[in-house]
Amino acid sequence: MSSGSRREDILGRVRARLGRDAANAAAGRAAVEATLAAQAQGPRPAVDTQDSALARRFVEKSLAQSSSVDSVATLAAAPAAVARYLAGQNLPPQAVVWPSLAGLDWAGAGMTIEARGAVDADLVGITGCFCAVAETGTLMLCGAPDAPATVSLLPETHIAIVPASRIVPGMEEAFALARAELGRLPRAVNFISGPSRTGDIEQTIVLGAHGPYRVHLVVVTAEE
Amino acid sequence: MRVALFVTCLVDLMRPRIGFAAIELLEAAGCEVVVPPAQTCCGQPAWNSGDREAAAKLAKKVIAEFEGYEWVVAPSGSCADHIRTEYPVILADEPAWRERAVALASRVHELTDFLVNVAQLAEVPGNFAGSVTYHDSCTGLRSLGIKDQPRALLAKLPGVELREMAGAEECCGFGGTFAVKFGEISAAIAERKCANACATHAAAIVGGDLGCLLNIEGKLRRMGDAQTEVLHIAEVLTRKR
Amino acid sequence: METGSRRFKANAAAALANPVLQGNLRMAKGKFIDKRAIAIKEIDDFEATREAAKNLRNAVLENLDLWLEKFEEAATARGATVLWAKDGAEICRHVVEIGKKHGVKKAVKSKSMLSEEAGLNHALAAAGIQPVETDLGEYILQINDNERPSHIIAPAVHKCLDEVADLFHATHRTPRKTGIPALTREAREVLREHFLTAEMGISGGNFLIAETGSVALVTNEGNGRMVTTLPRVHVVITGIEKVIPTLEDLATLMRLLPRSATGQSISNYVSVLTGTKGPDDHDGPEHLYFILVDNGRADVIGSEFQDMLRCIRCGACMNHCPVYQTIGGHAYGWVYPGPMGAVLTPLYLGIENAIDLPHAATLCNQCGVVCPVNIPLPDLLRKLREKQVERKLRPWSERIGLKAWAWAASHPGLYAFGARLAARYLKWLAGGEASIPVLGAAPEWTAGRDFPAPEGRTFRELYAQRKKS
Repeated sequence: MSSGSRREDILGRVRARLGRDAANAAAGRAAVEATLAAQAQGPRPAVDTQDSALARRFVEKSLAQSSSVDSVATLAAAPAAVARYLAGQNLPPQAVVWPSLAGLDWAGAGMTIEARGAVDADLVGITGCFCAVAETGTLMLCGAPDAPATVSLLPETHIAIVPASRIVPGMEEAFALARAELGRLPRAVNFISGPSRTGDIEQTIVLGAHGPYRVHLVVVTAEE
Repeated sequence: MRVALFVTCLVDLMRPRIGFAAIELLEAAGCEVVVPPAQTCCGQPAWNSGDREAAAKLAKKVIAEFEGYEWVVAPSGSCADHIRTEYPVILADEPAWRERAVALASRVHELTDFLVNVAQLAEVPGNFAGSVTYHDSCTGLRSLGIKDQPRALLAKLPGVELREMAGAEECCGFGGTFAVKFGEISAAIAERKCANACATHAAAIVGGDLGCLLNIEGKLRRMGDAQTEVLHIAEVLTRKR
Repeated sequence: METGSRRFKANAAAALANPVLQGNLRMAKGKFIDKRAIAIKEIDDFEATREAAKNLRNAVLENLDLWLEKFEEAATARGATVLWAKDGAEICRHVVEIGKKHGVKKAVKSKSMLSEEAGLNHALAAAGIQPVETDLGEYILQINDNERPSHIIAPAVHKCLDEVADLFHATHRTPRKTGIPALTREAREVLREHFLTAEMGISGGNFLIAETGSVALVTNEGNGRMVTTLPRVHVVITGIEKVIPTLEDLATLMRLLPRSATGQSISNYVSVLTGTKGPDDHDGPEHLYFILVDNGRADVIGSEFQDMLRCIRCGACMNHCPVYQTIGGHAYGWVYPGPMGAVLTPLYLGIENAIDLPHAATLCNQCGVVCPVNIPLPDLLRKLREKQVERKLRPWSERIGLKAWAWAASHPGLYAFGARLAARYLKWLAGGEASIPVLGAAPEWTAGRDFPAPEGRTFRELYAQRKKS
């Protein structure tokens, strides 16, 4: 059977089982459209949004996800913080960086960077984020030509620069922001919560499965 | 308060003393206890075996026999829940019967729940002393919320020391017909339950459902433990030194 | 259909007799349970969230045809190709055709239970396409002669460290490693090479989002990201029931899925993937296919078993199941073990092909209580038992026994007489002892435990006497 007729076969059986007819199809379509338009949220755990509480929660939850966290006052201070972290980890001051961050003064911080997508040999990947979710300590990365997805994936160390002003309470606000600012979802939206891990051998959690072993967050506290 | 005792078929056949203990407790709570003489079984084995017809037949029999009483009490969470929760489902296609099932449902209670929440028993008749561990039977716990009631009653016995076991809320592996259809699996689950119970070194394992207790006792004896007593909560609450 | 689900009893007996497996099951028991119990407390109102998840899944199922059309429209608008498959064979045919069309020699796979339903790896290999499982657990099983997963979240939960160490040593021809981190690194290195060279990535889909035409993938290892980022072709294989309406619904479900599955607040990676690589993008597949699979699901719509289609595949029901904990997942004989498997297997393969599964449960309802979408699993198991009775699929001895017992129980005089007889007979059998070691009428019972002796007289007998005196 061709895929087109198989589509009709499967949908036809679903329709038959649902007792679909012209009258209830109209009502059904209306229900579907209403649901899509409503974008209704489910129950939400309370997240304190007062002053610096969001950023505090984001940091606390990120630490719980085994990320490490630093903070700097301004975006301009981020390269030095990154260099400091790498030195502390005995890692060379070299990294692949999102093209969107290539304009920072990396050389001034003693770093050698390449602005591109990551390859297997890259040890350190530096990204920004679209926004971050305080509820769970999660980064939201939206793929784009100047924000390639591989940079947060292939290197063993992932460093993300997180403007405090982009920390939102929950995933709902993150999606709302994406709808408002991007119009439609980019090809790859990745929510990242700490280093990759597996518990597949004896349910023992090991960090560094296929993705990064380390996730280091540099929170930029200054208002934009 | 006039209470009809639903003895349960297992207590009738295996442990009449639990039935008498239940009567003693209900009377101690100021109830007048009646034992409708024609009662047999609530029909749960049929329902859980997929025989709706037999389950409906027995449900109607129980409803007819018990609906005239103010309260119905069973020394079993499993049987009480079957009457309360399942009868309206079993009889869903027969509106008149369904209505009678619903009318009966809210008046049916598991023994400890009735003693604590309805009759508000002040003093228990027994004076049992010793260490016990309590097994929470699945249906009573998860469908009727029987958790604090037996413990509240045990707390009325100053000589009783309750030692909670690990996994008290885990199934003992009885499961009614499951125990005779999948004996090996059932016995292996029971072994875990017995190990958890024995680890408390309590002198007695106590519960509110005889099916579970027979399963636990049978496994315990097979494991070579002839010492640890396995008792229904009603026995513990009425036993005199 | 020949499947292991017809041999449940023999499988279970073998599992009970396997000391290594029993040790591994004992070790695994409780880890997920304890973490879940803590994690669900983090969302202020677990019950309300669960109810919302149940309602949103129900709403989709009630208009599933329309939601599928919506999803298809949105996905197609973003450049994806949507294909439909009736069964496993059609899944295999689609994937092989896609592979051939794009000159694929190697396919890296992120965990997909549907590809297990289809036996896809076998079909790919037969077509000259090398399938490589990349979830660590799935990889362990693949190199162990394509062993089946025993758990939907932790496929190799039945294996211990020693077994994995031996397997890696033998397969990779590397010095035998003894630490879990070292073994994990070895797998990472072996699989990294495959990620970089595969032309096709195959994944399941945790959810399909109708609003955006996206697939949501939830993983911890990052293999799901690799498989959907590096190869030039990405094939998503999901059941038709996996659609959810909006991104908000994803947010709701993500509060439940990781907590219920592994006891995590959130999984490491939640990827929402939409359409193909853009002209200036550095990464992502040039071709994206969705294969929407029926394989028995359509017939469950509108039936008394429809609640089962809410399932979000977290595995909490099996983690909490006393039977699963005792025999592991392989005994269930097909792709899905535990309570959800005991319902799904007969629904998808045919009730007559999994006679034992609906009975292989104590109906303790631990599964129903933990299910994040509130599926009444014990009720569904009981309904399947009812179907077996209706279709006369139970053994004749059981049918006659049940009928005779029910008849007796409706005749109080006769029943009382029978009970009096049985009480005396069993008491006599016990011969003064507290219990009966072998009971011919219940051999399954006494195989593993004694049968406690009755008091010897029935309650009603004694009560009548007492009333008289």
